Amino acid sequence: MSHSSEKPDVSPAAKRLLIALGMICFGLIGLEFIIHRHAYFALEGQPMFFVAYGFVAFIMVVVGGVGLRKLVMRAPDYYEAGNDDE
Amino acid sequence: MNSLLPTFLQIPGLLMVFGALLVPLLPHAIRQIWMLAIIAVSVWLCWGIAPGVHMTTQLAGLDLILVRADAITRPFALFFHIAAALNVIYAMHENVRTTATAGLAYAGAAIAALFAGDFITLFIYWELTAFTSVFLILISRSERSFAAAMRYLLMQVSSGVILLAGAVILWHSGQGLNVQALDASTLAGGLILLAFGIKAAFPFVNGWLQDAYPEASVTGTVMLSAFTTKLAIYMLALCFAGTEILIWIGAVMTLFPVFFAVIENDLRRVLTFSLNSQLGFMVVGVGIGSELAINGTVSHAFASTIYKALLFMSMGAVLHRTGTAKASELGGLWKRMPLTMIFCIIGAVSISSFPLFSGFVTKSLTIGSVAKEGYFVVWMILIFASVGALENSGLKIPYFSFFGRDRKFEVKEAPLSMLIAMAIAAGLCIAIGVAPQLLYGILPYAVEYNAWEAGHVLGEMQLLLFAILAFAFLVARGLYPPQIDSTVLNTDWLLRRLLPRLTMAIARPILSVWFTALQHAKKLVMDGLYIGERASQQTGLVSGVASTGAAAGIFLAVFALLLILLFSM
Repeated sequence: MSHSSEKPDVSPAAKRLLIALGMICFGLIGLEFIIHRHAYFALEGQPMFFVAYGFVAFIMVVVGGVGLRKLVMRAPDYYEAGNDDE
Repeated sequence: MNSLLPTFLQIPGLLMVFGALLVPLLPHAIRQIWMLAIIAVSVWLCWGIAPGVHMTTQLAGLDLILVRADAITRPFALFFHIAAALNVIYAMHENVRTTATAGLAYAGAAIAALFAGDFITLFIYWELTAFTSVFLILISRSERSFAAAMRYLLMQVSSGVILLAGAVILWHSGQGLNVQALDASTLAGGLILLAFGIKAAFPFVNGWLQDAYPEASVTGTVMLSAFTTKLAIYMLALCFAGTEILIWIGAVMTLFPVFFAVIENDLRRVLTFSLNSQLGFMVVGVGIGSELAINGTVSHAFASTIYKALLFMSMGAVLHRTGTAKASELGGLWKRMPLTMIFCIIGAVSISSFPLFSGFVTKSLTIGSVAKEGYFVVWMILIFASVGALENSGLKIPYFSFFGRDRKFEVKEAPLSMLIAMAIAAGLCIAIGVAPQLLYGILPYAVEYNAWEAGHVLGEMQLLLFAILAFAFLVARGLYPPQIDSTVLNTDWLLRRLLPRLTMAIARPILSVWFTALQHAKKLVMDGLYIGERASQQTGLVSGVASTGAAAGIFLAVFALLLILLFSM
């Protein structure tokens, strides 16, 4: 199994993009105090609910995937080679 | 119905199925015009079909409804035709008659199935979609694709057989054969639900989707992504709207594929996991069954078909140019394929439900209907799965193919035909997002949901942008999982590994007994022959040849048995 190192070189353009993203996120938090969000559920109506859920859910998706990898990842030719399960 | 055409060609979709028969005979340029013209005539025919029964016949004493439309038939028929036309345009650069023929016939069969008014007629088209689409996988001409095609066919045909069994039981119970609302708790209803569930890639019967679609050709995968699963969603909406179990099945469907997609290295396979998750949203909508939810399912099926096709097209273009769709081998293509990159990003933001793009105005209907009905846990799962869609298709696909580490590919931009198809699909994604009333206008019920309410837009933007912030954080810190060339076990493992092993485990003792018995039988026969041969030689019975002696012995034994039977009765 060939691994791909995915830590990229962060270019100046990417850095600028990250700063812009951070500023927009900051602005979206500010809008929370101006725009009323209609909520169907009590939890949904809590301040910063979508801010927290978006961030945490993304981390959970990735962490869940990494955990799953231990269970279901096999060699690229697993079926062709007829290997036994590890 | 149109009187200019022979009766059988007035059945929607059959014009495309029979039109496909001419495709292999036509020169390349004329073939493209022919296919687009056939699709244009077909959509014109379908558009004129109002809800109701339009054509019936009798076969072996059964009343069959060849053409029937429902309130949801027209939008499905419309986007099936759009997908068929996009497929033709996308594949114009290649001169592969098999793909063109199979693709047109497959789309036609799926459209014909939409209008089937009874389960026997549906069964015929149900299987026809399987037998036409399998060529799109076989065309890859590798051992791997052949095996995947056979497994695909096995699942699809099994689905059809189960559908037929359910239909027969339904008919036997006196409920007739018409496509109708069914009770999933009855045997007939349960079987038909299972048949639809296999094609809709329900959990545990979803493996064929991730197994087969990425093994198809570049253009074949795009064609496959549009019809089979959406046809199943359509039939679920007709027969099982409001069936509560579907809410939970759909919720599981939205959830589990997003984790598999995180670790899958083949980007076309990532898209099949993502497709599976999107289907889950539609199944939830069917399970809710309210007018808002059915509107959500239909509109989401429409938008999802277009943006999924766009994403498959962009990855197909990458595969066509670079020869790989593996995340571990791709990166930095934005410089070489800038237009493909732009179209891919439009598909990515559409599936991620960014405001002004199609996914936002369609997915909101389903999620809104879940909230309105008070299903809090399901609502939380759907929001979670939306973040998963952003991770899988919104970020992973464009990031690893066009950005990330530059792999220094010296490739050209995608062929013109691919770019045109992607441009049209991207235009539709934006048009639906900006002017949703275009889509809302053809939905079965009036839309009374305002997706553009300021608080809703704010919540969606917060969800998505903070998820992107999490992605940026993980990538910048080197914490995002590396893409590894591997096989990710899926539920097709049950068919490919567990079932053969179980079969062998059960069969081994039986085979052992069988072979032992066979050895003994062989010995007995040989001994018998030897004795017979000796006896015939010594006594002159019939001849001195062993085989003739044995034959005479068997004949006498059978004759004796007949005499005993005759006189003992």
